[in-house]
Amino acid sequence: MASSSSSGLTFKLHPLVMVNISDHYTRVKSQMNPPVTSTSCSNTNGNGNGEGGDSAAVKAPAPPPRVYGCVIGVQRGRTVEIFNSFELLYDSATDSLDRAFLLKKQELYKKVFPNFYVLGWYSTGSDAEESDMHIHKALMDINESPVYVLLNPAINHAQKDLPVTIYESEMHVIDGIPQLIFVNSSYTIETVEAERISVDHVAHLKPSDGGSAATQCKFLCPLAAHLTSIHSAIKMLNSRIRVLHHYLVAMQKGEIPYENSLLRQVSSLLRRLPAIESEKFQDDFLMEYSDTLLITYLAMFTNCSSTMNELVEKFNTAYDRHSRRGGRTAFI
Amino acid sequence: MDPYPSSSQIAQKTWELENDIVSVDTPATSSSADAASDAIFYYDDVAQAKFQQEKPWANDPHYFRRVKISALALLKMVVHARSGGTIEVMGLMQGKTDGDAIIVMDAFALPVEGTETRVNAQADAYEYMVDYSQTNKQAGRLENVVGWYHSHPGYGCWLSGIDVSTQMLNQQFQEPFLAVVIDPTRTVSAGKVEIGAFRTYPEGYKPPDDPVSEYQTIPLNKIEDFGVHCKQYYSLDITYFKSSLDSHLLDLLWNKYWVNTLSSSPLLGNGDYVAGQISDLAEKLEQAENQLAHSRFGSLIAPPQRKKEEESQLAKITRDSAKITVEQVHGLMSQVIKDILFNSVRQSSRSRAEPSEPEPEPMVES
Repeated sequence: MASSSSSGLTFKLHPLVMVNISDHYTRVKSQMNPPVTSTSCSNTNGNGNGEGGDSAAVKAPAPPPRVYGCVIGVQRGRTVEIFNSFELLYDSATDSLDRAFLLKKQELYKKVFPNFYVLGWYSTGSDAEESDMHIHKALMDINESPVYVLLNPAINHAQKDLPVTIYESEMHVIDGIPQLIFVNSSYTIETVEAERISVDHVAHLKPSDGGSAATQCKFLCPLAAHLTSIHSAIKMLNSRIRVLHHYLVAMQKGEIPYENSLLRQVSSLLRRLPAIESEKFQDDFLMEYSDTLLITYLAMFTNCSSTMNELVEKFNTAYDRHSRRGGRTAFI
Repeated sequence: MDPYPSSSQIAQKTWELENDIVSVDTPATSSSADAASDAIFYYDDVAQAKFQQEKPWANDPHYFRRVKISALALLKMVVHARSGGTIEVMGLMQGKTDGDAIIVMDAFALPVEGTETRVNAQADAYEYMVDYSQTNKQAGRLENVVGWYHSHPGYGCWLSGIDVSTQMLNQQFQEPFLAVVIDPTRTVSAGKVEIGAFRTYPEGYKPPDDPVSEYQTIPLNKIEDFGVHCKQYYSLDITYFKSSLDSHLLDLLWNKYWVNTLSSSPLLGNGDYVAGQISDLAEKLEQAENQLAHSRFGSLIAPPQRKKEEESQLAKITRDSAKITVEQVHGLMSQVIKDILFNSVRQSSRSRAEPSEPEPEPMVES
């Protein structure tokens, strides 16, 4: 049912939305399977939690629930940026989302974030289903072309891609009947600096302990933390480029048939290097460089004068000229 | 043939080794680890109600010592604080208690601005709070409001006089309650999250020992407010937690996120903050100099106390200037690295001994 979208809209997703959805799902799942008594399917683990212990009876957990919610954000021209999300109630009788609740929540969020509009809705699951179209159509009166964000909560460690897919609805003619179907859209991850720092911070925590060990290393040496994050980013860049390189080598050797569109993309990518070469950039860059050197110089000066001051104070204390014994006296 | 998965595996193994992480391999045990880490998300209202009735904090003002903040709450608070720019914003936190720890599960923003001048800023937001809590309970978030947070853009994480009086009021009527302060400007500038959690002592209580708090630089115009009230509250240790699904998502997020890490330019966004800090330091230096001048002529009978004060004043200034410099240098380092990576290659050049850039070039050019 999902093919490639042709609407030409670019989607930008903020990490906050993903953490929001994941939290909603975890909460609902956890309320359904209380871990307090021994009915949870836990083997012994070394973690000193108050409740988790040996399991006497292993009860199969209830099937993972589906949670629903609304995503909000900003649409500027052809770019749709999804900033935030909130939960919604699902009415299984009418198979739709509670409209009054949605409006109430929307009003509350409008007060705090006046720029954000309802852009669509989200749900959890592994694939978009037919019944989802019903909900999707219901939302069309708020936003003519809502988006559907689907998060797959199954934890699969072999996965390399984010289990988040964004669907749009398009009118397609199938068997002569025009129908709305979901089409897959690509998206990029967009962030602001503060969001990036906090995501970075929590990403490096180990879930079991409070993250104290990992974060302490970061606090003790900010230089190491800073360089480590840049280093890991550069390593990713390097590995990605190596993949491309191997692919191109294979193509040159003839092992893989030529794919011209890919070659064009790689070529255009390389023609973008060097990134900026103008005079103005060099000037600005060097100015920033000298500014930083100036600040360092200033800090060094302050440090030196502070040390000198301490030296003088100690000297004065040790060799007190105005003491009654006159002249030099030993420091008592 | 494809080295791509192996290098990330190596990196992960190294990281795990360095951080003494016991890896869970079999799915059975990993699900138990997941269950244990997700256990914190379960809201047991019976236990919470019992705790509310017992009120163990009533007898010990120092009862709560730790705070656990969920990844979601942290993200929401930081994003909200940053979106306010230079205006202070505030919001409420929802969660529960667990022994001597307060657990913050979620946070939401309040449509109130400028909390630093009004004690009852919260009164305006009560209706919003009631509405929001009601809708939340319906949607499955059962926790109660357990604290409030606000931002101090650019001037550090501490409680001002107004904050202290607000918090004391809260601690009388809405226990258990926690105050959290976030500084979004310093977060961006330093590259790590600036956050502090506080609880006030009740009126007239003298803490048995003087708690050692982490030093932070405070601008001159706020330093008086800080000094007057800094003994009336204590700070709590903050740790963070996340669910198993969160950590899975965040791991995978890195595959796309590294681009943002590399492209971030902390220097560009925070220019005026740095300039403000430097001019503030200059004023402090002048003040210190005046004190120094006084003592030199003001006779050497000057009590050793005062001399120590100026010295520590000058030492503080030195420390602050070092901190600003370090942040600037870090920002510049990122810029230089990016320049080397992306600017120092030339089209159709013979392959130099540079990391990886020119390698693919000859392929395509020919």
